[in-house]
Amino acid sequence: MKKILLIILLFCQYLTAQNTINFETEDYYYINRSEYLKIDLNKGKFNIEKSVLENAKYNTANKLFFANDFIHFDSFTEIKDIEAYTETSNSKIKVDHFETKDQFGGSVFFSDQQSINFVFPAVSKNATTTLKYKEIIKDPHFLGSFRFGTYVPTKEASFTVEVPKNVELGYKAFNLDKVDITFDKKETKKSTIYTWKAQNIGDYRKDEKSLSILKYLPHIIVHIKNYNYKNEEKPVLNNVKDLYAWYSSLINQIKDSDLTEVKSIADDLVKDLKSDTEKAKTIFNWVQDNIRYIAFEDGLGGFIPRDAASVCNKRYGDCKDMANILFVMLNHVGLEAYHTWIGTRDRPYSYYEVPTPIVDNHMITAVMIDGKPIFLDATDSYVPFGMPSSFTQSKEALIGLNDDEFKIIKVPIMGKEKSTTLIESTLSLKDNSLVAHEKRTMKGYDMVDFIYDAKFKKDDKTNEEYLNNKYKIGNNKTTYSNIDLGTLDITEDSYTISYDLEINNYAKKIGSKIFLNLNIEKPLSDDILLPEKERFGKKIDHKYNRIYKTTFIIPDGYVVKSLPKKIENLQEEYGFSITFEQYNNKITVYKNIYFNTLEIENEQFEKYNTFIKTLIKAYKKSIVLEKQQ
Amino acid sequence: MKKLFFITFLLIASNSFAQFHKTYDWAEKPVLHEITNEEAKESSIAILKKSIVEYKQSEITGNIKVYETTHNIFRVNDDKGIGQHNQVYIPMRRVKKIKDIKARTINKDGKITNLNEDNIKKIENVEEYGDFQIFAIEGAEKGSEIEILYTVEKDFSPFGTESLQFDYPVKSSEMVFITNGLSGYIKVYNTEQEFERTYLDNNLVEELVIHDIPKVVEEDYATPNANIIYVAYQCFGNPNLKQEDLWNNTVGNIASSFFPENISKVALEEVKNTIMKGQSEDITLFKKANILENYVKSNYTVIDNQNEQLEDINYILKNKTASEFGIIKAYAQFLKAMAIDYEVVVTANRFEHRFDTEFYNPNAFREFLIYIPKIKQYIIPNRIDYRLSEAPSNILGNNGVFINKDVEYYFAKIIQNDPNYSHIKRVMDISFSDDFDKTVVEEYQEYSGHWGIQNRAFMALTTGEQRADFEDYLTGSGIEDKKVINMELENDSMDQTEYNLPYIVKSTIESSALLEEAGDSYIFQIGKIIGIQSELYQERERVHPIEMQYPNQYNYTITVDIPENYAVEGLESLVINKKLEKEGEVLCKWDSNYKMEGNKLVITIEESYYVNEYSIEDYKEFREVINAASDFNKAAILFSEK
Repeated sequence: MKKILLIILLFCQYLTAQNTINFETEDYYYINRSEYLKIDLNKGKFNIEKSVLENAKYNTANKLFFANDFIHFDSFTEIKDIEAYTETSNSKIKVDHFETKDQFGGSVFFSDQQSINFVFPAVSKNATTTLKYKEIIKDPHFLGSFRFGTYVPTKEASFTVEVPKNVELGYKAFNLDKVDITFDKKETKKSTIYTWKAQNIGDYRKDEKSLSILKYLPHIIVHIKNYNYKNEEKPVLNNVKDLYAWYSSLINQIKDSDLTEVKSIADDLVKDLKSDTEKAKTIFNWVQDNIRYIAFEDGLGGFIPRDAASVCNKRYGDCKDMANILFVMLNHVGLEAYHTWIGTRDRPYSYYEVPTPIVDNHMITAVMIDGKPIFLDATDSYVPFGMPSSFTQSKEALIGLNDDEFKIIKVPIMGKEKSTTLIESTLSLKDNSLVAHEKRTMKGYDMVDFIYDAKFKKDDKTNEEYLNNKYKIGNNKTTYSNIDLGTLDITEDSYTISYDLEINNYAKKIGSKIFLNLNIEKPLSDDILLPEKERFGKKIDHKYNRIYKTTFIIPDGYVVKSLPKKIENLQEEYGFSITFEQYNNKITVYKNIYFNTLEIENEQFEKYNTFIKTLIKAYKKSIVLEKQQ
Repeated sequence: MKKLFFITFLLIASNSFAQFHKTYDWAEKPVLHEITNEEAKESSIAILKKSIVEYKQSEITGNIKVYETTHNIFRVNDDKGIGQHNQVYIPMRRVKKIKDIKARTINKDGKITNLNEDNIKKIENVEEYGDFQIFAIEGAEKGSEIEILYTVEKDFSPFGTESLQFDYPVKSSEMVFITNGLSGYIKVYNTEQEFERTYLDNNLVEELVIHDIPKVVEEDYATPNANIIYVAYQCFGNPNLKQEDLWNNTVGNIASSFFPENISKVALEEVKNTIMKGQSEDITLFKKANILENYVKSNYTVIDNQNEQLEDINYILKNKTASEFGIIKAYAQFLKAMAIDYEVVVTANRFEHRFDTEFYNPNAFREFLIYIPKIKQYIIPNRIDYRLSEAPSNILGNNGVFINKDVEYYFAKIIQNDPNYSHIKRVMDISFSDDFDKTVVEEYQEYSGHWGIQNRAFMALTTGEQRADFEDYLTGSGIEDKKVINMELENDSMDQTEYNLPYIVKSTIESSALLEEAGDSYIFQIGKIIGIQSELYQERERVHPIEMQYPNQYNYTITVDIPENYAVEGLESLVINKKLEKEGEVLCKWDSNYKMEGNKLVITIEESYYVNEYSIEDYKEFREVINAASDFNKAAILFSEK
């Protein structure tokens, strides 16, 4: 009899304050989701196979559409041995038809993503479904991760990794304190088996306005650190150095071709320019302006930029293509520029914690100006030179210095002053209507957002409807005229738009008095955060500063009877102040609202809501005018 | 529903001309086209959108081949314009051969970049759309022209359609229809212009040239997609075939599928042992049909997939999974077993396509409904959110073919039977906290008809943020710091078996944002309690006739407790009367008024849309009625100390 030695090395259990989930009131949930990842090393070659089991239950017939299921895969994986069936109290029916489909549409133009689609038969109230399959992982760099939670609640989830003794596994757990979990490490003669088991896991669904769900979702990332073959230790992803060595080998596969045109464009662009800043800015703007972003996801090709000459000729590319052409052009004119890997803000990982490709999903270029890196992301066609794309702020950038050396630098978060908007308005009363001329001058990300919105999100709306929906000035019944939205191209550091407004029946004239609220625009007034709605925090795209200078001309024959006092609530993360001043026949309202943080975590909701309530209260103050006797 | 009915026809011999597409080509040396200043302001325009459809019968085999040539030239003026045209998808459904994909760009300086054919990629089996060949346009810059030319040879189908209006303006739209002597018909919609017969290479063809087609304009209360200019055509070998024959053929096909002669044993047993189990024999027809529909929608999954097995009734009954077409077969089995008389209606979503009863076009057969004539109610098999009701908004008002069990058919407009079907009643009692900090609104609401059905579905089928948003709507949207103290729902199960039972919401909310301070007085934003209202703008001239979701009515009774020692002023903003009246008949109206009863202010509102279609000439009055609601939403009254 084979003797298997089982040693429990570690056993731990967190008991947490996780609310108990009543699975019986869920329309649909997972009874069990488990993955068993088995890594084998055979003559120096990896065989990696993941066995997946998903067992779900329909408590009601409300969500039968979940019967329509699919398994995603790409060129790094292969799916086999699929078994799927539905069980009811008196039957078991197998899925008899699987269809493989290419993925298409959305923001990616061409992708190697495919799916196997199928439908669980005869699902109805109380039915359970079972799905089993094996996923072959072809490249040892892509072990991936296991998520304990998914879009519906999960009663039990487990993740097991079995590695041979000559392979060293690295792993990092995230947010496990949020669930009841056990961990177990067993040693057998040949392998080590790691098992995580969790129970009663809530649902996790991505939401555009929330922080990255990965900041909350319990999950584990695993990677192969090293393996021993023929008594030699071979690294895979032991640390960032290994990751970079692999990336660097991929970059070296860029097919060189005739760069004459690329170089001549670069030369032409900088020929009259002296400073490095001017040169870098001009080349960056050229790529922003001339190379269209088209996304490709194509196996390892998804990691190797296309050569600069073909990108230049085709005038399109994905992020890595744009990063590479910038790299080529900048270096050609004598600037120090580097290929740079980065994850966007929805990947809350550090290279040091998990040295794997899961950390990043994007590529940019770093150019050194006066010894300091400037991060250039030309996929954002409008971001000003010197500012990183807003979705890369705070993230680690992996800068490739040469074949072997790299540096990790955090992309700075741009201060609120960089994105300042000044809103100047002159208001007066015409009969019962409030008329105004308003000018908005935007900078930084405020400017970028406006241009994107006006260009791509305005759709077919008229300018009037667009502005009404965007700024909600004086409630949504505002007539706009003389609208000047400009060219919608960025040529300066700031961008100005202007328009005239008329808001009917805005002032209340009663007896000899006029009641008037000079807060015609009330940003953030609908921003109370409800924990049941915003379950995963609130994401702020960028820090900003809005300054309103509103001047009201007091109608002839009226005096000011009541003027609200100054109100302010100035905090580190956010704040506002509203000041009313009268000078001769004018009342000027100075309003400042700022955001100095990129995240509001759930624990901070109460504090934030209190802040918003003080803001709403401040918005409620009207002025009172009285006719002179 | 994308199901097409293919019909085979007798083929007859044809004459012989050279195929036009073989010689058609683009200009050897492209030049930039002149455009006007106005055109230069657009993100992109089509200089040319040309399509050539050519049917050709082989003299040897008698087979008919179809060739479709696409030739487009776009001017792209900015990055959005480039984005509109730099990714090309050629659908390969029915395509036998694709020949000569050519694409080039000419930039402002006259530099030409040709598409590298190696960059054409193939993608397979995409959702329900089949295969595609895709490529990105190379060399496009601001101010460039993008030119694309290709011809596909397709499997023979006697029918086709072609859209001629897009989300960019078209300077010249050309369509050439060549039948090479076969009998064919072509019809153009939503324009005054007609096809003309002309000779091309000595071949009699139908040609349509339209200049300056504006881009599709999106508007509220409109069906822009159904109003676009498009062409439908037919071409077949049999010259004697009439439109009537085509309809007859289709109806025959449908009848054999949807009016079975025999009922399967499985279906009979399901009716006996499950659907009608425990039900008395004398339940109303409405209840009976509803029980059936609830059963099917709780036990069958309908998917958008055209695998054959999903249309096989035995497979469907066993696996309880069907295509949108197949599920009708399951209903048919049960309806027959339950002795419920029904008709099948073939129509289209009216927001996408206006169903033409005169020109046979199987592309329009997109929605299949079951109609129960005795109670004038519909079952919508592919809508899990719907239950036995009047026709839902995406169908209401379109034409359809109604087919009964005797394989008789008639064309009819799908109308609403009960004019007062959809109604919202709201009763609100409003009071204030002593310190004038908070407003408390106690509300009782009844939603009937489509409102009720939709509310039930929303609350049952959505989760998370969507559901939270909907709860916000149910308790008055747009109240900034609203706190829902209490909300109770009645009659909220989706499976209702009583005709038009209202969905009831009882709620209490609190808000401090509704009261504004003005010196010693308070401004009460009373209008906000009716929630955010839609607003129609007039910045540009109305393009589309008005089509609402469905006729509907609202009645509000709002009672405000005036706080002691305070007088209320500014009540005139509560009185708004707007209506659209034609030939003595009120088509829609807004009436709001108030009266004082002791220290109570009682406001009544009646907002009614008796019909759902209005002509474009009535836009001004219609808009005034719609905007009356958003005007009321801004109404405020003043409390000042006595």
